[in-house]
Amino acid sequence: MYNLTLTAEQLEFRDTIRDFVEREIKPVATHSSRLQPLHPPFPADLLALAAPLGLRTLMLTEEHGGANADTLTACIVMEELAAGDVDVAMAMAHTAFLAHALFEGAMNTEQRARLLPAFTNDEHGHLAYAGTDTGGPGWQYHRNRAAPAARVTAVRNGGHWILNGDAGFVANAPIAGLIAVEASAGVLIATRGAPGLTVRVPGTDSESVIPWIIGSGGYVTFKDCSVPVDNFIAAPQTLRRTQGHSVALTAAVNLGLGRTAFEAAIAYAKLRVQGGRPIIQHQAIGTKLAGIAISLEAARNLIWKAAWALDHPESAASLPTLPLETAARVFTAETVCEATEKAAECFGAMGVMRDMPLQKYVHDAVKFLHANVSSAVDMFEIGEAVAGFESSAA
Amino acid sequence: MDGIAPISLSSKQHAWQLKAREFARDVLQPASLARDRIADPAKTFDWNIVRQGSQLGFRTAVVPEQWGGHGIDFVTQALVMTELAKADSAMAKTFSQCWKWSHLIAEFCTEDQKERFLKPFLADDTYLLGHAGTEPTAGSDHRLPPEDDPKSGWKLSAVRRGDEWLLNGEKCFIANGGVAKLFFVSTRTNPNVGIREGGTEFLVPIDTPGLRVGRRYDKSGWRFYQNGELVFDDARVPHANVIGEVNEGYKTRGGSFGDLELSANALGVCDAACAMAMQYSKAARPAARYILDNQMIQLKLSEMQMLTEALRSFVMRMAAEADAKMHGVNNVLLVNFSSDVIQRVTRLNMDIHAGTGVVEMPAAVDKLVRDAGIWTHLAGDSVQRMKAVRRQKLI
Repeated sequence: MYNLTLTAEQLEFRDTIRDFVEREIKPVATHSSRLQPLHPPFPADLLALAAPLGLRTLMLTEEHGGANADTLTACIVMEELAAGDVDVAMAMAHTAFLAHALFEGAMNTEQRARLLPAFTNDEHGHLAYAGTDTGGPGWQYHRNRAAPAARVTAVRNGGHWILNGDAGFVANAPIAGLIAVEASAGVLIATRGAPGLTVRVPGTDSESVIPWIIGSGGYVTFKDCSVPVDNFIAAPQTLRRTQGHSVALTAAVNLGLGRTAFEAAIAYAKLRVQGGRPIIQHQAIGTKLAGIAISLEAARNLIWKAAWALDHPESAASLPTLPLETAARVFTAETVCEATEKAAECFGAMGVMRDMPLQKYVHDAVKFLHANVSSAVDMFEIGEAVAGFESSAA
Repeated sequence: MDGIAPISLSSKQHAWQLKAREFARDVLQPASLARDRIADPAKTFDWNIVRQGSQLGFRTAVVPEQWGGHGIDFVTQALVMTELAKADSAMAKTFSQCWKWSHLIAEFCTEDQKERFLKPFLADDTYLLGHAGTEPTAGSDHRLPPEDDPKSGWKLSAVRRGDEWLLNGEKCFIANGGVAKLFFVSTRTNPNVGIREGGTEFLVPIDTPGLRVGRRYDKSGWRFYQNGELVFDDARVPHANVIGEVNEGYKTRGGSFGDLELSANALGVCDAACAMAMQYSKAARPAARYILDNQMIQLKLSEMQMLTEALRSFVMRMAAEADAKMHGVNNVLLVNFSSDVIQRVTRLNMDIHAGTGVVEMPAAVDKLVRDAGIWTHLAGDSVQRMKAVRRQKLI
């Protein structure tokens, strides 16, 4: 039964994170030194602040030291964290998703026993996944596509696999303790600092471009990088089936950004007096805020429905055949973009000042439209889904 | 007749357009991204650009010829602003800000004031002009004074002491603040009535005792363009610097040039975005196809060009009407339209460059979006949109 009554546990999660964000994250995240939008350093200190909350292991079962959160609960948590800082939330959401997908979805008992403690004991260690192309449509809308080829080759040499190749952009790579690599032979685990593994952050070697990412990420290259044979955890494409959870979490992080801009606008519109009364009492501002409220609530409903569907695969027959999480991601990206712009407009000239957070919210919201996967691709994917198209090779 | 659609340019208009195009290409464009990137908002400015532009006549372009300026008409002003803004919107605005107040000097200042201020303005390549209206508690209230709250609006007080006025208060977000040598300052000379009846405009040189520049504003876009805080602490201004009549300052403001200025500037940004998007689409090839072969790209390019051409028609019509001394509310609607168009067109350019997803964005593409964002915060907000209706009500 489709039901969005949050459990006492979900409400407690939400309130705990909301309280933490108000106390610990917001005062630092909205400090003027952090609001420069062009080359923002990754907020490693904020991520470290959030580490003791146990969010990295949020989606692991209790048996493995986690909180056993389902996708809906994780979306609720990540929206709250993102209301404080989107980069922290995106990094944390990615690790939380991969922890479940890798340790519980792909590894055998021996591998888990060997690799999980290293992850759970190092609260600053994150997870990354160097996959092949998503297999999504790209520009090849409604065209049959070749199965995605691995970018990294793995050649067996005695007790090791030797990795070579350019894995492209990998989310969380700069902060990851473990990087799962979808190589030609299958999925292997490489560890931080392995000889031959290099990570380069985008936008740092040319002044003609700026980084366009939310969270942490970098270009990963393997050059004769040696990985123990025991670190082979899964056949190729094993993890692709679980990517939907990651998409839903991305939408939840995006929503948190919109909400924080909205809340800032409400607070300011109650304080700012023009035309003889607080501007929230003017029709033009009141209806603008109402419009934001409606659009964010619609996005939240779509995200939660997508999350609920992922948590209840048996419900497929009662839900539309749309890729709900993709619909949630593209709808939220468009919605939050408009919401942050409208929220910033309530601030007049202060809305574009770099010592105020609104201009950063707007800039981050625009990034969500294109970072790594653009909304255009999400629309192609949905377009193919409603047409019932399936690439013969995918 | 609803308007005039200029079909062809005079040789003089065309010559100014070409001169602006060359200056923009050779001087502004090469400096644009580097200036945008500088983190300290007080260091993004470059006096060499002002000097070179001034020597070509762009600073003093609209001062009447009999006073030693170039006296270019509104159509030419629109053409020049568009050309300059194609290279850098904020640099174009730095020049046109001087035009805004040249118009005002010509229309309202006495011969003595012209002698004292227009002459040095014409003689000095680094003499810039600005207007000080906005205050911390007077944003939309000074652009659209509320009819039911006469005490709202700017509060900077001016009190007469013999032949002088003492000015006290603070102005914020002031155009060319920190670089201008002369400001047109809106003050309150009668706090008991609305600003339409109790406001007075003053000419205030930057070296006025008691006037100092506070902080520079650190904006997300228009980085080159300076906005500063002005603090008046018993600033002493001679009575001879009152513009027009005491308590009639509201009649002596920038007029509708500001609307044309922003819209023509927006048009230049849109032209830049269209050129950038087309060049990229024609050159880039993902996998098997040119980017341009995709319908999604064609639709976006087409929308960009459609909106830009519509804006051009509107801008040039309003410029021609201004030259024909036709005045109405359409200028206000033009700036509202330009605000919508510039946002949409610069964002479509970004969508095109983002393709199927990116992790690096060309800095030039991002800059256009950030520059366009400025429109929403100075001209695109609700107050600006309601101005046209308010004006009709008051007619």
